[in-house]
Amino acid sequence: MKRTAALVPLLALIALTLMSAGAQAIRVTGQILAYQDGYVFFTTGDGFRVAPAIVLKDAKTGGATALRPGPRLWALATFDASGSVVELDLSLTALAPQGNFALVKRYAIALSSPFPNPDLAQAPAIPGRPNMVFTGRQVVVVFEVRVPPTTPLEAIVYITTDASGWNPQAIPMQRIDALHFKVIERLVSGTIFHYLYTRGSFASEERSEGGLEEHPRTALVSDADSQVYSNIVYRWADEAMPGQVIQPNVFPTPYNPAPFPNLPPGIHTPHP
Amino acid sequence: MLLAACAWERAEALTTLRLHADRIAFFYDRFLVEADGHVVVHTSDGMEIRGDAFSMDLKLNRFIVAGNVQVLAPGTQLSGAAFSDFLNFRRVYFIPILAEPDRWTFLNGDFAHPAKGREMPGDTFDFPDIGHRPDLVSRAAVIGANSYVRFERVTSNFFGLPVPLPAFYVSFAPTPALARNSLSGANLDLTYQFAGNANSISAVHLRYDATNHAYASIEQHLAGAHDYAVFSVNPLTAPAKFWNLMTGDTLSTRFQVDTFTQLYTYQYGLAEPLAAAQYTYITASEALPRWSIQGFANLTNFNLLGPGAHAVFANGQTVGELNHPSQVQITASSFQERIFGSPFYEQYFFGTGFNHDSYGTGLQQYGGVTYTTIWNQLVGFSVSLPELTFGNRNSAYDRYVLSGSFTKERQWYSVPHHVDVTTLVSTLSRQITRTVGVYAGYSIVNTGDYYLHGGYSISSPIINGVYAPGFEAFRGVATQRTFSFATNYTPSPEFTLSLLYRHHDDFPEPVPGLFPLPHLNPLGQYIYPSFLGQPPNDLTGDLHVRLAPHISVDIARTDYFGFATLKWSPTFIVQVSQ
Repeated sequence: MKRTAALVPLLALIALTLMSAGAQAIRVTGQILAYQDGYVFFTTGDGFRVAPAIVLKDAKTGGATALRPGPRLWALATFDASGSVVELDLSLTALAPQGNFALVKRYAIALSSPFPNPDLAQAPAIPGRPNMVFTGRQVVVVFEVRVPPTTPLEAIVYITTDASGWNPQAIPMQRIDALHFKVIERLVSGTIFHYLYTRGSFASEERSEGGLEEHPRTALVSDADSQVYSNIVYRWADEAMPGQVIQPNVFPTPYNPAPFPNLPPGIHTPHP
Repeated sequence: MLLAACAWERAEALTTLRLHADRIAFFYDRFLVEADGHVVVHTSDGMEIRGDAFSMDLKLNRFIVAGNVQVLAPGTQLSGAAFSDFLNFRRVYFIPILAEPDRWTFLNGDFAHPAKGREMPGDTFDFPDIGHRPDLVSRAAVIGANSYVRFERVTSNFFGLPVPLPAFYVSFAPTPALARNSLSGANLDLTYQFAGNANSISAVHLRYDATNHAYASIEQHLAGAHDYAVFSVNPLTAPAKFWNLMTGDTLSTRFQVDTFTQLYTYQYGLAEPLAAAQYTYITASEALPRWSIQGFANLTNFNLLGPGAHAVFANGQTVGELNHPSQVQITASSFQERIFGSPFYEQYFFGTGFNHDSYGTGLQQYGGVTYTTIWNQLVGFSVSLPELTFGNRNSAYDRYVLSGSFTKERQWYSVPHHVDVTTLVSTLSRQITRTVGVYAGYSIVNTGDYYLHGGYSISSPIINGVYAPGFEAFRGVATQRTFSFATNYTPSPEFTLSLLYRHHDDFPEPVPGLFPLPHLNPLGQYIYPSFLGQPPNDLTGDLHVRLAPHISVDIARTDYFGFATLKWSPTFIVQVSQ
């Protein structure tokens, strides 16, 4: 009995040692947001106490580093049992993920108790709306447009977008049949893309069904493997009247009430 | 994420940030501004924020200042580790360091009452992951939220070469009001926007086109909430100058007016012009329920300097005639309406107007009468079939799409004749594989000019010494039939190759050298894409390659299969887009 009682503190000591050893092994990679006043903050917003004798190393070589902790640097942080950061292995480039901030969340310092943010309440699912997750990956986005039947068969249709400073010929589209054009773009997820269709200039941009200036469409690129935006152009701005296309940058102005602008000169003009 | 999803739906106040730092970098492809070292941000609502690093996503309209942050807000002074402002939502997230760090949120600009401990969005303090060199670096910038950024003391990265510039302006407004340009097309246009704010842009364009070759142009943009104006001189450095003024005003949700005025001068520098011409058109649009009305007025002065002034245009045309024709047209058009649930849509239009030219021989001489004003009435309709799919509907690569339209219009003139134009366009398309699509098309354009009495008389088959048998039968009716076959090859979004073959079977049939070819636009293309006398066969190749996220090149050329001396289109059409 005495022998058993003597073993209890020994076992407790061993357990504590093992736990301590386990705690010391907590290592997490992250990007530094700030390093000041005895704390290191990561871009998660979490701030951790820094041990007075913190060791700074080069994450690639494991040796000494000339880097000083600061915003944008990547670091592999080592926590001791008390939750202080005892080592930072620094890198200018992203490090392979290691550990999990959930494991060290309890060490994060914050004076106030957290409470829910109503802004972050889950939005109800909207049918047909893409899943709004943005990781910055490249996503294939297909734009398809149906053009009005008055569109000349030789017309070239472009997308103009705020991503290119509204260049009216920013993205040329391919004709896929008499009334449809298509283009495939590669965009970064999270991109908010405002766009309109043109036939090469703002004098020939799309118009609403009522003939007025069209408001730019908005595409929000989600993390889906691919996305398709199908649109309809009802009118072009230069359809002053059906069948006539104004070409303001050409002089002399095309002006001829007769329907055949380039008959040979020797042809008799109409007469009674 | 929810915030981001709704970002563009929220109304935002225009906030201006003035940013100074040791190094400010701009990444054009992602609209990111990243700054490091002695960052100072002044906001238009009176805040000053200092820190070690700054990061702003211009499109998401939010910024971070991190590292040794000092905030001077009206009535308060704060120190902390990081500051994040979601401008669209009027939420500021802050990590103060008091006795210990904390997490505060300031709501709606109220810095006196922080919400302490309020949960923050997961990406509040995320820096973007950028793996390439910036497009420019500077030491100062002015950022108009959701609108523009203007850098000062800039070093621009121009194809890997550092180019110092006094300033550089970039607009990223979600509407194109400030971006409408009044320049003609060009093969290459390098735009340097050297000044600007939320309502104006001043720009110099370095351009190249097949007509003018290398030249410079200037352009000034102005825009308000409902109106815009653009002024340009293009080219500025050549004798043949086009002075353009474009305006637009949305007077109500249903009514808007647009104008375009072009003054042509032939002058060396700013010396007295040798020739001057002017062209103005005004378009007024009124939206009605299921209909729209468009009024159009056009006024041209081919010679503003009086008799004797003349010049030759770069495209070979001359000015100098004293004609000053004008035109007014009002047209009403219905919306495209579905026909009884079928796949067909219908649209109707009608209108009236006149052309006027009182100088010289007037507009037309007919029956011994000189017509200086010709009135017209127009009526027409179109039926279109946007899409009719058949074949294996479960397979994207084994189904066919039939598409087409039929348009018929008649225009009566006060000269006793009317013109009928009938247009039929149909195509059958199929996507064969993920990268290859094809379509075949057939179109007929029939144009008939019918006079009440007489009209086009029988012509000799020999015109200007050229044997043209078709004109023996020509009585004012021309028909253009075109068979098209096209294929697109798109192995990646960065590369597209298109081939288009067309066979024209026209009446009157084309005869080499008989029909005047249309003039060329500045790009070297015919101003009319389809015209009488066009070669019976042509094959056009078009290669589009995206060289960088913001630079792509398009190269096209047409082969006319040796129609007399015409073998290839006049030039390669090369266009570089930014």
